[in-house]
Amino acid sequence: MKTRVRKVMFAKGAGMILTIMTFLLLYIPIIIILILSVNDSTRGYSWEGFTFKWYVMLFVDDTMKSPIVNTLSIALLSTFIATVLGTMFAIGIHALQKKHRVRMMIMNNVPIVNPDIVTGISLMIIFNLVAFTLGFQTVLIAHIFFSIPYVVLNVIPKLKRLDPNLYEASLDLGCTKLGGVWRVILPNISTGILSGALMAFTMSIDDFIITYFTSGNDYMNVSTWLYAALARQGRNSLAPMAYAYNAIIFLVTIGIILYINLKKERKLKTT
Amino acid sequence: MNRLRVFSVPYWIWTILLIALPTVFLVVLAFSDYSLYNPGNFTITLKNFQIFSQPYVFTALKNSLVLSLITSFICFIIGYPVAYYLSTFGDKTRKIMLSLLIVPLWANMLLRIFAWEKIFTPNTIFYDIFQFNIDLLGTKSAVVIGMVGMYLPFMIFPIFSVLEKMDKNLIEAAKDLGATDFKVFLKVVFPLSVGGVVSGVIMTMLPSMTSFVLPARIGLGRINLIGNIIESKFMKEVMGSAGLSINVGSLVSLLIMLVSVAAFVMITKVDKEGETLI
Repeated sequence: MKTRVRKVMFAKGAGMILTIMTFLLLYIPIIIILILSVNDSTRGYSWEGFTFKWYVMLFVDDTMKSPIVNTLSIALLSTFIATVLGTMFAIGIHALQKKHRVRMMIMNNVPIVNPDIVTGISLMIIFNLVAFTLGFQTVLIAHIFFSIPYVVLNVIPKLKRLDPNLYEASLDLGCTKLGGVWRVILPNISTGILSGALMAFTMSIDDFIITYFTSGNDYMNVSTWLYAALARQGRNSLAPMAYAYNAIIFLVTIGIILYINLKKERKLKTT
Repeated sequence: MNRLRVFSVPYWIWTILLIALPTVFLVVLAFSDYSLYNPGNFTITLKNFQIFSQPYVFTALKNSLVLSLITSFICFIIGYPVAYYLSTFGDKTRKIMLSLLIVPLWANMLLRIFAWEKIFTPNTIFYDIFQFNIDLLGTKSAVVIGMVGMYLPFMIFPIFSVLEKMDKNLIEAAKDLGATDFKVFLKVVFPLSVGGVVSGVIMTMLPSMTSFVLPARIGLGRINLIGNIIESKFMKEVMGSAGLSINVGSLVSLLIMLVSVAAFVMITKVDKEGETLI
């Protein structure tokens, strides 16, 4: 009995140590980014005192303005379109027979499993073939393309939990085909749609590889701008504004998630 | 709900246009001298295969394979116990811990790579904070540590999600029937979580195999992976326009596609509808 207790203790201890290690591995780079965003040094080599000037510059200086505007507009637009399309596709896929559904889901999962670099060059090739000029429109299509699968994967489980008779009932009671979707299906899968949209948004705002291959020479989001800035100026001369920008995005996303979770909990408590 | 099937039709067209068609063209480009920028006549040729006779390409392929296997293995060794440990917590703590694992992924990938670069360079900001130096920049160990730091959560999530859904009564039943803790794990828990492990291995191996910024920055450009070769063939930023060759790049990308297809076959075997992917 004693050795058994010791074994369990050992397993628990190992689990804890590895978990702590995991958190360190994930958070040390984040801490460094946050510190560099308030570090009074252009080269970001060593600690040279506390400052908020990079945050101020972010709003005053024009250097990063266009990449930031591009990133946000692509993220908002592509999330919106991907969420609408993804929800529609998910409803369609869910209604298919099992064999077709599985086939469709395999296609759906291709962009998730395929490495970004393959997705990026595939899209670049197809855009060149149909003679699209690489720029805003191609980046938008690319972002919609890789966002839809996440929306679909988030919505499908909610659809599975939905009683199919509800929709039929709504039709019997005089709803049109689309009216039934709007009044019965959508309200029941709204949490899935929301989490899908959130995932799509975070994927889009952070994307580097796919944007890099589909954006051409002139159109840049924050990530490709950073990459180009590095190539131009060499090592360690990265504008610390980028750290400040990332810190803001980071804190805002955490805020949104916390807000949504708290709201959900409050709702659970009241019902 | 059968009448809603029409909604999936545009998705068929969409996937054919943006997945199937480019794949076909990738194959055509790889086995011919078709020029993407000046379309015209082309002949089928195997001359793109010459790239594989270059020693640096061979090294890159080897590096990709070896480093991604090591990364994925380390992620498994760390990730499985962590996922298991986290799944033993109560509902609330579990949710918090899981969100804490997701949060770092919202920081920009490039900036996280730059942060790792700072960590591995002696006498930078990392030393100012933690008072010790890690001088690993430009080594394979640094690249592997960086990759584990980037992709570890993708091992933990799928394993965690299968462990969380597992019927705990099975464990009780096995114990009642006289199995030791270790046997319960080996005969009940682990076999039931294989689906998560497969997804985890694929979701860590493929991105690390194809990364190109991370080896270029943390490996100081000394350690090239297959991703670096592809980048240099498709983007003139890397080696100038002289190094460009869409055809050769396509051929090299086909190699990655072979790996993804294998990954796909494995995933569809354990998880038909890809529920462990998110």
